[in-house]
Amino acid sequence: MKAQRPRVLKRIWIISILLLSVLIVTMALGISVGSTGSNIKEALFSLLGLEKADAMLETIIWRIRLPRVFLATLVGAALSLGGLVFQALLRNPLAEPYILGISSGSGIGAIIGILTGMSPFPGVSLAAFAGSMATLLLLLFMTSGKTMLKKNVLLLSGVMVNAFCAAFIMFLISITQDDRLHNIIFWLMGDLSMADLPQVWLLAAVVVPCTILIFCLSNTMNLFLMGKELAQTMGVNTKVVTAILLIATSIMVSATVAACGPIGFVGLVIPHLLRLIIGPDHRVLVPACMLGGGAYVVLCDILARTLPEQGEMPAGVITAMIGAPLFIILLKKSGS
Amino acid sequence: MLRCASQFVATAKKTVFLSVFFFLAGLFALHGQQPTARMVTDELGRKMTVPDDLKRVVSLAPSITEIIFALGKEDLLKGVSRFSDFPAAAEKLPSVGSYVHLDLEKIVALKPDLCIGIKDGNPIAVVRKLEHLGIPVYAVDPRDLNAVLETIIQLGHLLNANQKAQTIVSDMRTRIERVKSLVATSPNKPRVFFQIGVSPIVSAGTQTYIHELIVMAGGRNLAEGPVPYPRYSREQILGLSPDVMIITSMARGASFERVKKQWSQWPSMPAVRDNRILLLDSNLCDRPTPRLIDGLEQVAEAIHPDLYRKKP
Repeated sequence: MKAQRPRVLKRIWIISILLLSVLIVTMALGISVGSTGSNIKEALFSLLGLEKADAMLETIIWRIRLPRVFLATLVGAALSLGGLVFQALLRNPLAEPYILGISSGSGIGAIIGILTGMSPFPGVSLAAFAGSMATLLLLLFMTSGKTMLKKNVLLLSGVMVNAFCAAFIMFLISITQDDRLHNIIFWLMGDLSMADLPQVWLLAAVVVPCTILIFCLSNTMNLFLMGKELAQTMGVNTKVVTAILLIATSIMVSATVAACGPIGFVGLVIPHLLRLIIGPDHRVLVPACMLGGGAYVVLCDILARTLPEQGEMPAGVITAMIGAPLFIILLKKSGS
Repeated sequence: MLRCASQFVATAKKTVFLSVFFFLAGLFALHGQQPTARMVTDELGRKMTVPDDLKRVVSLAPSITEIIFALGKEDLLKGVSRFSDFPAAAEKLPSVGSYVHLDLEKIVALKPDLCIGIKDGNPIAVVRKLEHLGIPVYAVDPRDLNAVLETIIQLGHLLNANQKAQTIVSDMRTRIERVKSLVATSPNKPRVFFQIGVSPIVSAGTQTYIHELIVMAGGRNLAEGPVPYPRYSREQILGLSPDVMIITSMARGASFERVKKQWSQWPSMPAVRDNRILLLDSNLCDRPTPRLIDGLEQVAEAIHPDLYRKKP
């Protein structure tokens, strides 16, 4: 292991820098285009401080598009990293916060928050967080003690919890009568358009520490892939590590869900895609997923605001429409 | 959303913002350089400064667009929310997204002096964001027909069209009185089921313009009650046995014929027996605009056709 370290470090650097440049390009693009058209040159000059655009464009670039791009990056990073962690822990490429019901759980929390008239922040965010933690605890409780079949039990329990949460959300929607219904439905589709900088900093303050923690545990995740018994013989306290990873991921995911609603399939597509390209080493995959996931959601958000002729689409619609077919293709290819 | 969240507006941030604002306003006053702006209070009691000669206004709801056109101030309108389809000229104006999902970037790009929004519908998050970007948002809150009249007066005041607003409102009042005195001559109050949704079947409760129109037009709203938009099963409606059914569907034409045909399977229902299933343009009964009175007259005619037949 020790002898490999410099090589791994070098790989981490090369792949990170490559993906970082992809992310920077998509972010620059995200800041340059919007529903009022694209002005790449002016936007770039304004960003680099070379030349001031007119006041209106400055406002649009700095106070509408920039927070939105930052939010998309954070959301993408958190969700795809969340997917990666769940896939490693369950050793199943289908695992994702959505499939395990964590996102739906925080969705229930957020909708109850909206319905009871809480303020968007901190009321609804805390309600979303409470929802996801409740779902996670329920999952852990349901699956505790079933060591032999734990992997499948957890996954199946998650699917059932998710189905229950989806039904509960439908129930809440069906009893909602007034204009709050619009809020809920737009929120459920995953919407990034209301981003502002304080919200972005807040989300960053939650997400960044979690990603650092996960990166520190990335080598342990590698050991998990070789099997729990082997990991235990290598001196890993599997229970504690599993709990830490699950909780850190849930915090991260529920924070993003609270910020902009459930944005689906990011945690499924990005880790899978990157694993196919750069292999299964989590020390490389963790930073790669963050950067790649960020770029992916920024790109989806660009499509969301430029594709429709009138108004905007929620970004979640795009991530799902790209994500689901891509995932099926990947699955077929990797199977053959 | 707007209502509940506006209770949370009194944050420290806002206080700081306001005090800075008053300080600056004071400075201007001291210098004697009175900027040509005035302080206005919107229908939610929020204060804001608005330039005296408004040049660029963006409407955040179709009803507001209609009122501005009615006031003859359409030259001020630089952008309107989606579905601002009346009058036809409104459709040519730049769209800034639907009223529940506004496109901030488009609004900012239109450089408005003022946005006019509606409390039930426009999300408070967008309103706050616009205000942070230095664009004042005047909110209207027409809860019932009387409040609609008041809103028209207020907007007339805001857009320097007092005279026109008074004319519109007194005309509306006259027409309301005419309907009221006409239906007062009829001793019976037909039972009205007002269907605003096809599947599921949705009607309108007491807290809606529709209820007001039905009652004013001398009918009984079968869906009255605390739920604003109650749902019904077909069975329940047969049980209610309405004398008149008024259907406003978002999708019109063929869809109305289909719904009417479905109800026709139940000839025991008075409304079917007497062939009193009618279509009404939904924009005439759910938008707080001067056209509500058109809706009122049509509802009255639907409920009391005999009175309208007598009078030419």
